[in-house]
Parts: sequence; structure tokens; C-alpha cells
Amino acid sequence: MTYAYLFKYIIIGDTGVGKSCLLLQFTDKRFQPVHDLTIGVEFGARMVNIDGKQIKLQIWDTAGQESFRSITRSYYRGAAGALLVYDITRRETFNHLTSWLEDARQHSSSNMVIMLIGNKSDLESRRDVRREEGEAFAREHGLIFMETSAKTACNVEEAFINTAKEIYRKIQQGLFDVHNEANGIKIGPQQSISTPVGPSACPRSPRDTGSDSGCC
Amino acid sequence: MVPALFFPWCSSLRAHQRAGRCGDGRHGPKSALRAVREMGSSGLAACALEGPGWLQRHLLSGEFDQLRNFTVFESNFVQVTRFGEVANKVTMGVAASSPALELPDLLLLAGPTKENGCLQLLGLFPLQFVQLYIHDESRQQLKVKFCTGRAFYLQLQGPAETRDLEFGKWVRLLYHLHFQAGQGAVPFTQEWGDEDEETGGDQEDREWDWRDQLQDREARLDPQTSELWGL
Ligand SMILES: Nc1nc2c(ncn2[C@@H]2O[C@H](COP(=O)(O)OP(=O)(O)OP(=O)(O)O)[C@@H](O)[C@H]2O)c(=O)[nH]1
Ligand SMILES: [Mg+2]
Repeated sequence: MTYAYLFKYIIIGDTGVGKSCLLLQFTDKRFQPVHDLTIGVEFGARMVNIDGKQIKLQIWDTAGQESFRSITRSYYRGAAGALLVYDITRRETFNHLTSWLEDARQHSSSNMVIMLIGNKSDLESRRDVRREEGEAFAREHGLIFMETSAKTACNVEEAFINTAKEIYRKIQQGLFDVHNEANGIKIGPQQSISTPVGPSACPRSPRDTGSDSGCC
Repeated sequence: MVPALFFPWCSSLRAHQRAGRCGDGRHGPKSALRAVREMGSSGLAACALEGPGWLQRHLLSGEFDQLRNFTVFESNFVQVTRFGEVANKVTMGVAASSPALELPDLLLLAGPTKENGCLQLLGLFPLQFVQLYIHDESRQQLKVKFCTGRAFYLQLQGPAETRDLEFGKWVRLLYHLHFQAGQGAVPFTQEWGDEDEETGGDQEDREWDWRDQLQDREARLDPQTSELWGL
């Protein structure tokens, strides 16, 4: 399938806050109750439609646990958007936001759009961080803010899509140079005239091997 | 680009495959086509005969800037349960994050998307947190075990003519990796009892299906179930 743009996203934040669950809910519309610690990076992709344009989100779900962090950091580079996640039932995950933010800003483009996410909003009775605190943190650091639940899917679509809208807005305002790879944005294969399309990784029948266009 | 020689244990794999193809007297596309037919409708299998593998091509497709210069040693597998039942297709590869490294340091896993079966990168894992074992040499099965306790089994796929050779490359690689990691030089699971006894971890050696594979399985095989994976 063709797309106008591809945006690279990273999902970062402490272990156990629900990063992988947010991704799974967004791409597969399901919830995983067991915590399968991520080591390294897991990937997801999904098309969204912004302003009538097809945009492919390529999502890098990184490991939150400290011992994996030094390695995953190196993959922040070239992200157009970041979801910075904390768990509203665990204050320490909120307290660590500053360090995550520093890391993100240091290892990626200054234009990167960051969405702060207070996840597990379904666990209201166990809430440890007030919504206003999240809002204040976001305001102070120039982030977008939402509370989500990867379990009930509440605001999950919105979190990913609003981030894309903000990136798209920045592109239209000329704040993002879409030709600079470091910005985490790519122009889709059909849109670009000067950029050659790389070899496709799609299975094809041997009859098709003469054609140069991928099946995706 | 990293020269192919960089991975001495895999440098000649593609060359051997090509030689095998020409050596059977039926040149070029014809025998490739036959090999594909023999593999059933598996599109993923076709690539093993031509140039870079699917994973390498996927990385070269331009969507993964940071990974595009990796030289990947890769093979197509099917995920099997401990008892050998077949679940789904997985392409597994190893790569080095820097040309200065003598051995690969990353494990890459990819699989077909639900929507159209195109290959999609699923995960990238530092090899220091993953152990690879030869699970069943006769069935050409490897065991992949994460430091978190997740484990799964993969059985090599591919044309019979080249599969032994290809599995041999994995065996050599595993010896190198185990030697480097100081895990003892023998990367087998079976003859050496359960490796969990060695590590003595209290982590359950859970059989781990890639992202809840049992649920995923139907979904993967039926492209209609999700309109979301628009690759
Ligand atoms: N109630 C509730 N539980 C959630 C929610 N999101 C995630 N969880 C649970 O929280 C645990 C951790 O979720 P993961 O998505 O694996 O956490 P992670 O942030 O990816 O953790 P690392 O991979 O270690 O960095 C799991 O047991 C999930 O079921 C949510 O919105 N509500
Ligand atoms: Mg995770």
C-alpha cells in the first residue's frame, strides 16, 4: 500500500508502564495482560489518515528496563515522534520522566514531537499521579498530554494519531525538513520523484521479478 | 557497506546457493521456479535463491535508515512447538551494529504481515540478552531463548539441496557465539540436558509464542482479519 509519508515513532518510559501494550492495542486492537519484558526493540506499523493523506507510522517500542536502556537509546535517532509513557498508579514512573526526556532530547532531533502519556487510566482507584500533574509537566516541557488505557483502548488511537497530526502540522508549516532523514520522516514511494525506490522485500511470484515496483 | 567477508562463517552462503542452482543442469529461473513450487506457495522461500535475503532487502527498502547498512545473515524458519507442531513463518537473522565487530551482536526477527504477507521486521534484540541453541539437529531446529525466560523453537526452511549447508552455517555461528559468551563451547540443548539447570535461574523456561502466537496464528494466516497492517 502506498503512503504519502512515513513517520518514525519511538515509545519510551519506565519498565511496566504499558508501552508494548499501547502498541499492541494500536496495531492489533487487543490487550496483553502478562508483562513480557521487552529486550531491545519491538516494531509495529500502521497506516493512519491525516487530512486525507495516508501516513504510515513505523513504531519502535523500546525496552524500559535500566539494563537494556543504554542499548535502546541509540535507536532514538531519527524519530519524528515519541510517546513518553508513565503509569498513573506508580509515582516513581512519573518522577523518572525528566531523565527520559533528557535522554530523548539528547539522542534525537530537536523537532521531535513528544506526546506525554499517563497510562492505565482504567485503574482510577489506584491512581497515584493526578491528571493535573501530568498536564503541568507537559506544559512546562512543551509536550502534548493524554491519559490512556491500553486495557480499555481509551485514547490509544488518539494518542498515536494526535502525535501524527502535530508532526503533519509541523511539516506544513515548514518546520520539518522532510528531505533530512534525521527528522524521522520519509516521503512515500509514490510521492517521491527523485528518490529511487529500494528493492522490495515482498514475496512475489517468479513471474513478477521483472517489475520494479513492490507489492506493498 | 560491510564487506561480506566480515562474517567469515557466512560469507559463501549465497554463492553456494547459486552454485547449487546452476550445477543441477537446469539453469536460472526455471529451477528457481521449481524450487519455489516445491516449497508450496511460500513466497518467503523464494528469496533464498536470489541475492540478499528478504530481511536484508526489507532493511534496504529505505524505511529503516539506521539499519540499512547492516549485513544480515538470515534464514527462513517456521516456528514449531516443543513437540514439533508448526505455527508460523519467521525470518531470523543476525547482524553486527558496527563493522568493527568480529561477531554479530544483534538478532533480528521478521515475519509476514497479516494483511498481505509482506515481510515485516518484528524485533531487534541485543544478542547479549539472547541465547541460541541447536535444539534438534536432525530436524534442523534451533531454540531461541531470551534472558527474560521466553523461549521458542524454529525449524529451518528452504530447498533440500541447500538446507544442510545453511543449517551448518548456523551451527558454526552458534559455536562462535557460545564460545564468545563463555557459555561453554557446545550450543546444544538436548545432549547436554536442559540448559536451564546450568544457568540455575528461577525464571520459568516458558514456551513463548511470538506475541501470543496461538491467537496470532489464525490472524496471520487470514489476511482479511485486520485492515490495519497496511504495509
Ligand atoms: N490495568 C491496566 N494494565 C495495563 C495497562 N497497560 C499495560 N498494563 C499492564 O502492565 C504490564 C506491563 O505492560 P507492558 O506493555 O508489557 O510494559 P512495558 O512498558 O512495555 O514494559 P518494558 O517492556 O519492560 O519496558 C502488563 O502486565 C500489562 O498487562 C493499562 O492500560 N491498564
Ligand atoms: Mg515492552
